[in-house]
Amino acid sequence: MNGKSIAILSEAERHRLVQSPLDGEGLKLMFEAGFIWLTTNQQYVNSLNVFPVPDGDTGTNMVLTMQAALAEAESKGTKNVGEMAHTFAQGALMGARGNSGVILSQIWRGFSRALDHYDHMDSALFVRALQEARSTAYKGVVRPVEGTILTVIKDMTAAVENTAGSDTKLSDLLVTIVKAGDESVKRTPELLPILKQAGVVDSGGTGLFYIFEGMLRLLQGQPLDVSNAVVKPLSELELANTLETVEEGQDYEVVIDFTPRPQFSLESYYNGLSDIGTSIQVGEGDGIYRMHIHVPLDKRYEPIAYTEDLGIVKKIAMENLQDQMNSKKEESAKIKFAPVAPGQVAVVAVSPGEGLTRIFASLGAAAVVSGGQTMNPSVKEIVAAFENLPTDKVIILPNNKNIILAAQNAAKVSVKQIAVIPTRNAPQGFAAMLRLLPEGSLEENEESMKEAISEVHTGEITTATRDVTIDDVHVEKDSVIALLDGKLIISTHSIDDALSQLLTAAQVENFERITLFYGEDMTLPYVNQLADKINEKYPEHEVEVHDGGQPYYQLIVAIE
Amino acid sequence: MTSQQNPLGRIYILPQAIKSVARHAALQSYGVISLAPANIFEAVGQLLRKNNSYGINVSADGEGLYLDINLVIEYGLRIKTVTDSVAEAVKYNVEKTMGIPVIRVNVYVRGLRISNPD
Repeated sequence: MNGKSIAILSEAERHRLVQSPLDGEGLKLMFEAGFIWLTTNQQYVNSLNVFPVPDGDTGTNMVLTMQAALAEAESKGTKNVGEMAHTFAQGALMGARGNSGVILSQIWRGFSRALDHYDHMDSALFVRALQEARSTAYKGVVRPVEGTILTVIKDMTAAVENTAGSDTKLSDLLVTIVKAGDESVKRTPELLPILKQAGVVDSGGTGLFYIFEGMLRLLQGQPLDVSNAVVKPLSELELANTLETVEEGQDYEVVIDFTPRPQFSLESYYNGLSDIGTSIQVGEGDGIYRMHIHVPLDKRYEPIAYTEDLGIVKKIAMENLQDQMNSKKEESAKIKFAPVAPGQVAVVAVSPGEGLTRIFASLGAAAVVSGGQTMNPSVKEIVAAFENLPTDKVIILPNNKNIILAAQNAAKVSVKQIAVIPTRNAPQGFAAMLRLLPEGSLEENEESMKEAISEVHTGEITTATRDVTIDDVHVEKDSVIALLDGKLIISTHSIDDALSQLLTAAQVENFERITLFYGEDMTLPYVNQLADKINEKYPEHEVEVHDGGQPYYQLIVAIE
Repeated sequence: MTSQQNPLGRIYILPQAIKSVARHAALQSYGVISLAPANIFEAVGQLLRKNNSYGINVSADGEGLYLDINLVIEYGLRIKTVTDSVAEAVKYNVEKTMGIPVIRVNVYVRGLRISNPD
């Protein structure tokens, strides 16, 4: 089927179509026009989906249904409208895709029944066909939901059923139908709250509207393969969401702000753009146009050159979508918590930074609550983290002395069996995690974890926020301080020096392993330098570096 | 049946509640005319008591819910597409309202209603 041929229907053919009642060929042309116009606007209809189910991509489903119907009609090649409509409806039934496709097939089934045994169709018969289509469509459902395609076919039919006679011109009839359809589609959010919430109109209803508008455009001699160039206000351009709809091969996103030259035609601009890429949107505000498009790698400069011919370019933004998508994927794949089976012991850890969260997750934590030094989580937040875990046995690792109390309160309000291990920092939390036996009893786990936390020493290096003297150590504001197991031991001027003094104070020679978790304002190369120095000084020790991502503390040091 | 925990005690969701959600979702699906008794016992029960719990069977394990839906569908529709949407709609609505994963929805077409023979 060569769909595009229809767009260049000769004036004589069009004249014949408008003037006389439709025969089978004429009706097929009408269906075809509806199909092409729907296809042209398919992406827009797809963009209206609000339900994740049951209708994936309404526009695509309706297009495929229409396509199957036309293919069937094509294969039969009938002269009278009755047979033509019948084969078309048969094809729609067999090829119905998705919920909207099924309803559409019912509409055509009713439509064709009214045309049975007729050779030609005039306006009066068209109206009868619509009435039959409406009642057949409604028969398919016991609890019709209004604000859908059903409402649109109903409103379109109602608009013409008492006004049109045999002498009404088909094009006039369609003008009324299309106008009613347009209004009906715009009303759908009032009838169906979920549409209103999502700020869209019904997708199936919109698809049906395009089919009838396509028929009208054919009769009026308007092009069918050029999308309605609707200019939205700048504020309504949904550029943020277009990332989700990146198609294969569309590598770059190009956004151009420009002021058009006087002879600028939006329709032909769209036309030109659609040869270059997809996801085209054009918005306007205060005389400045903003164009958005997704293009393949080799065409990434074409929208710019093209737009420069038609207007004065103000600003160009270009982004590599594939790269953006990849980093998005990585992000979502980052943290994966351990699954918990009913009856197992699950661990909920409080973590001050993303890196630490990732380590907790990799050690088998079932959930993490964000929180740390100056952002203590509430009892409620802690409870929320474990209430939905499918087990009754939960261990909480507060990982900060200020959070231990909240964790204990969380344990009291829950009916689950909870043990709080009073970990005062992340390294103690990690030491506890390493002892986790998910299949063991809560008591066993609690005992062995408490033992573990006494075996690890923790150093913390941070910056002083005020002048103070604690435990005989005098601290000036903004100096670097080190704490060992929560006790302030050093105040100095560099992280390097603080770390070295900290390790000496911790009598690190009696241990085997030193792990550095660096904070959010540290860089890896610098931390690696620190690690190298430790290696030189303590060649017998294992030194590890991890991105902890915690705020305030430049370094958290675990000494085991 | 399925139970969940909240700070004050357990919450039990009985099959009846799940059935009513599934039933509503099924009946709102395009092409579904009614639910159908799954077997002779349900058919007799339907006659005697006029209750409307027939046509849906629910079971559960640690993973989630398993539903059987017995339907009468309008004649003249593509059955595969209708049943696909019913299964999707039931799964979506039950998961959304109950918060319990639905592992499987089996759809049994027990009959067709012929309102317009072609």
